[in-house]
Amino acid sequence: MAETPCVDLSKTEEILGSYPHEEPSLIQVLQDVHRAYNYLPCDVLVRVAEVLEVPLAKVFSVSTFYKAFSLEPQGDTIIKVCMGTACHIRGAGQLVEELERKLGIGADETTEDLRFTVKTVNCVGACAMAPVMLVGEKYWGSAKPARMEKYLAAGGNDEN
Amino acid sequence: MRIESSDQFKAYHAEARTRDEGLTRKILVCCGTGCLATGAKEVAEAFVHEIEDRKLDVEVGLGVKSTGCHGFCERGPLVAFLPEGLLYTKVKAKKVPEIIEKTIIGRELIPGLLYKNPVNKERIAAYDEIPFYKNQVRVAMRNIGRIDPTDLMDAVAHDAYAGLAKALFEMTPDEVLDEVETSGQRGRGGAGFNTARKWRSCKSAPGDRRFVLCNGDEGDPGAFKDRSIMEGDPHSVLEGMIIGAYALGAHEGYIYVRDEYPLAVVNLQLAIIEARKVGLLGENIMGSGFDFDIQISRGGGAFVCGESSALMRSLAGMTGEPRAKYVHSTAKGLFDLPTVLNNVETWAGIGAIVHHGGAWFAAMGTDKSKGTKAFSLVGKVKNTGLIELPMGTTLRHIIYDIGGGVLKDRPFKAVQTGGPSGGCIPEELLDLPVDYEKLTEAGSMMGSGGMIVMDDRTCMVDVARYFIAFLTEESCGKCTPCREGLKQMLGLYDRLIEGRGTDGDIEKIEALAAGMQLGSLCELGKSAPNPVLSTLKYFRSEYEAHIKDHACPAGICREITAFEIMPDCDGCHACPKVCPTDAIAGTKKELHVIDHEACISCGACLDVCPTDSIRTFPKIELAAEEVV
Amino acid sequence: MPTLTVNGRKVTVGDDVYILEACRAAGVEVPTLCNFDGLEPWGGCRLCVVDMSLEKWDDDWFKLVTACNHPVEEGMTVVTDSERVLATRRVVLDLLLARCPDTPLIQRLAAELGVDETSYEKNPEHTDCILCGLCTRVCDHIGVSAIASTDRGWGREIAPPFNEPPPDCIGCLACAEVCPTDHIPFATSNVKRTIWGKDFEMLRDPKTGEAVITKAQAEHFAERSGVPMTYFETSDKSKRLEVAKTFEKLQVVK
Repeated sequence: MAETPCVDLSKTEEILGSYPHEEPSLIQVLQDVHRAYNYLPCDVLVRVAEVLEVPLAKVFSVSTFYKAFSLEPQGDTIIKVCMGTACHIRGAGQLVEELERKLGIGADETTEDLRFTVKTVNCVGACAMAPVMLVGEKYWGSAKPARMEKYLAAGGNDEN
Repeated sequence: MRIESSDQFKAYHAEARTRDEGLTRKILVCCGTGCLATGAKEVAEAFVHEIEDRKLDVEVGLGVKSTGCHGFCERGPLVAFLPEGLLYTKVKAKKVPEIIEKTIIGRELIPGLLYKNPVNKERIAAYDEIPFYKNQVRVAMRNIGRIDPTDLMDAVAHDAYAGLAKALFEMTPDEVLDEVETSGQRGRGGAGFNTARKWRSCKSAPGDRRFVLCNGDEGDPGAFKDRSIMEGDPHSVLEGMIIGAYALGAHEGYIYVRDEYPLAVVNLQLAIIEARKVGLLGENIMGSGFDFDIQISRGGGAFVCGESSALMRSLAGMTGEPRAKYVHSTAKGLFDLPTVLNNVETWAGIGAIVHHGGAWFAAMGTDKSKGTKAFSLVGKVKNTGLIELPMGTTLRHIIYDIGGGVLKDRPFKAVQTGGPSGGCIPEELLDLPVDYEKLTEAGSMMGSGGMIVMDDRTCMVDVARYFIAFLTEESCGKCTPCREGLKQMLGLYDRLIEGRGTDGDIEKIEALAAGMQLGSLCELGKSAPNPVLSTLKYFRSEYEAHIKDHACPAGICREITAFEIMPDCDGCHACPKVCPTDAIAGTKKELHVIDHEACISCGACLDVCPTDSIRTFPKIELAAEEVV
Repeated sequence: MPTLTVNGRKVTVGDDVYILEACRAAGVEVPTLCNFDGLEPWGGCRLCVVDMSLEKWDDDWFKLVTACNHPVEEGMTVVTDSERVLATRRVVLDLLLARCPDTPLIQRLAAELGVDETSYEKNPEHTDCILCGLCTRVCDHIGVSAIASTDRGWGREIAPPFNEPPPDCIGCLACAEVCPTDHIPFATSNVKRTIWGKDFEMLRDPKTGEAVITKAQAEHFAERSGVPMTYFETSDKSKRLEVAKTFEKLQVVK
């Protein structure tokens, strides 16, 4: 725990203030924390355990069980390649490989400059547009490896 | 204003209808996730701006609605026009001014935007004439595509909460139970358990406090019907749950939405807030004296949380580990209290069932599978999208008449149904009527309704491996047969697809499959062998080719497949552009050549070759050639 | 007080009893790994599977269930040695043997069922942990919850939070004691105890100098029970001697 940088806990207090202080709130709290910090800092987990009155071991257990959570800082833009069945048979694997060529990182890895994290994710439910990838919040349907530069350049905002 | 009596609801409904009818012309822009991915938001905004600029909303009574998923995702962005009943496909934002000029003002069609039937190349203007829509019977998805999901009044104008009003003011809780029983509805999440039976067993469990839950953890890859319902008509889910709660005497409900569906969470939350404001949810619903409220719980990203006992643990803030269900959750579920958990589509159907009567629902479908079912038709099929049909429709009708047949007219190989717990159905069974029993008999299952069409460029060994790999990541790890078994099964499959299979591997796979089916704690482990066993049943020769010949007949398994460009190549130069390793050499109009050292066998070249001049062959033949 | 049949033998047991107990009452041994008397059954190892038929079902319709946590019902039929029961147990042990090929307990249990060598790929990393969950369950049971399972699926492991010395651990050694394969290492002396990378101060009996329990454990129980710390500072032997001294004052009354 000594390794990770100090984080601003005021955001955590705000989040904790909006939920009942009990175990059933744990996953919702962690979702909000993850959104606020872009990962789950361990100082925050300790505070969450304290306030929700859940043993720290269980908070850690839940944090590592669910795929939505990362305990390491992630990139500013998260790229998610859908690995659903329809996407698989329409070439999702090729997208992941192209990302590896372009960014030098594989699934669940983050670029050195913390710009991008690549994740392979479960079916996002846009199967008719297979293969699908998300750059930030922007969905790209019928994605092609040859257009990867365009997808990355467009950034993560839905406004593009 | 709060609705506090049956009459006030009727007045609200009337007001909603008047407002809807006041829009003499409507433009419905599909804003489901699929269309959003191809620019639907910009299209909707362009329409709004154009109409405001030209003041058409005031003068012509023209309204634009951003709706939920119309289902025909292949052709998005989709825009429908009422009252004309016209559909435009693949609409881009920059076309909007022209559409306003020509179609809205000039009342002319723009042929280029009409749906083109891939079979006879005809253009079809009317929504209801398009084969994709013509054959559908929409119950659970009745309002999706017609209403703005963020507008409660729009939903009410289309009969949302009419079923609830009837239940609260004209029926007793037991009468509601009877009506649901008459409908014969079975759970739409996959297991197909009789809804009324589940409700009755919860109702008879002792205790004062019980819960009504909605399973929005649509984890089956390839299924997105629940997403569309939650995003496109959230009130249908709320209404169903309130009716169920009324029948059961429950006052607390949760909708568990998987982490990967952010728009569903947003739209459901908006719907809950609106419903509460107007008195359709919360305390003293519609002045009936019945209290019930709903909260949303977001999943953390775990397929296993679609399993009922794991879902309840997740709702309670814990890891998603299932438990043995020797004591049913209808007796001891969430927080060890009596609980009813039903799927999104199940709840979405309840309002219609109560409104129109159970007999109406039971009149559709087959003997044992009543009513309609939503399917997501995806994969190598021309018309991919979301459809709802009466149970008993044949696979052939779905794939060919509605789906338009296999993409690029390649040979049909199989259709996979039921997600990771399902199986692959081959060509000889295409006339199977789709219902719970028939699919199970064929070695698959209904599951969530995902139907993934596969062509000859699909390796069935790879498909089985795909599902095993998926489940290996999703296993919670509690029980030995699933946790260890999936890992070992994946290892066996990796050997096969890499050409390292040996005699006896199939038998090993079958023995392990049996152990997992019998020994696993929950359905994830128990049904994990289904894709394995069904592909072995119908496509055993492919497995044998992998083992005996170190060959992949479909040309998919990269380690054992090589590519070659045939002499009929016309040098169009399309393939070098898509080759990720620059393994193709050739000048325009000349025969191109693949460098086998650089080639990674990804198949991108074959996919783009317009003359079908690229063939696959077993990689070991390369070594043999070298020796010679 | 339901009556059921186990391998043909009729037996009557108390209410709210699981099949496992009924088997034992009938003199039939069922192997278990993740079961421990005094802890709620978990049903994770799947070794205790048995074939079971309810009275209302057809005579030849059986369901394979875990004996440890399936409630007994009047008229139930249980078979603990059918083909498929033994086949399933073999698969379970075969898989565990692949996971823990060097663990004596697993080797023995597997051999008893005829599995001498695993049919599967052996685990390249050595471990004795069979993920039976007993350690975490006993820790939860005594109200500490210092360790828990992390990750999921094949990567699942029992670990303290952040893989660092667990702040909540009281050094009671219950996890190590209950572990069926002795997987959890610890060191203990009169002065210090170490487990999960955490060091503990020992409370020693003032008279004998023996370590009694860790200070942390004493504090944990003192807080929960209201019993003074001094109670925990004396060894059982010293307590017995103290009580014995009071007998000196007793007189026989005729």
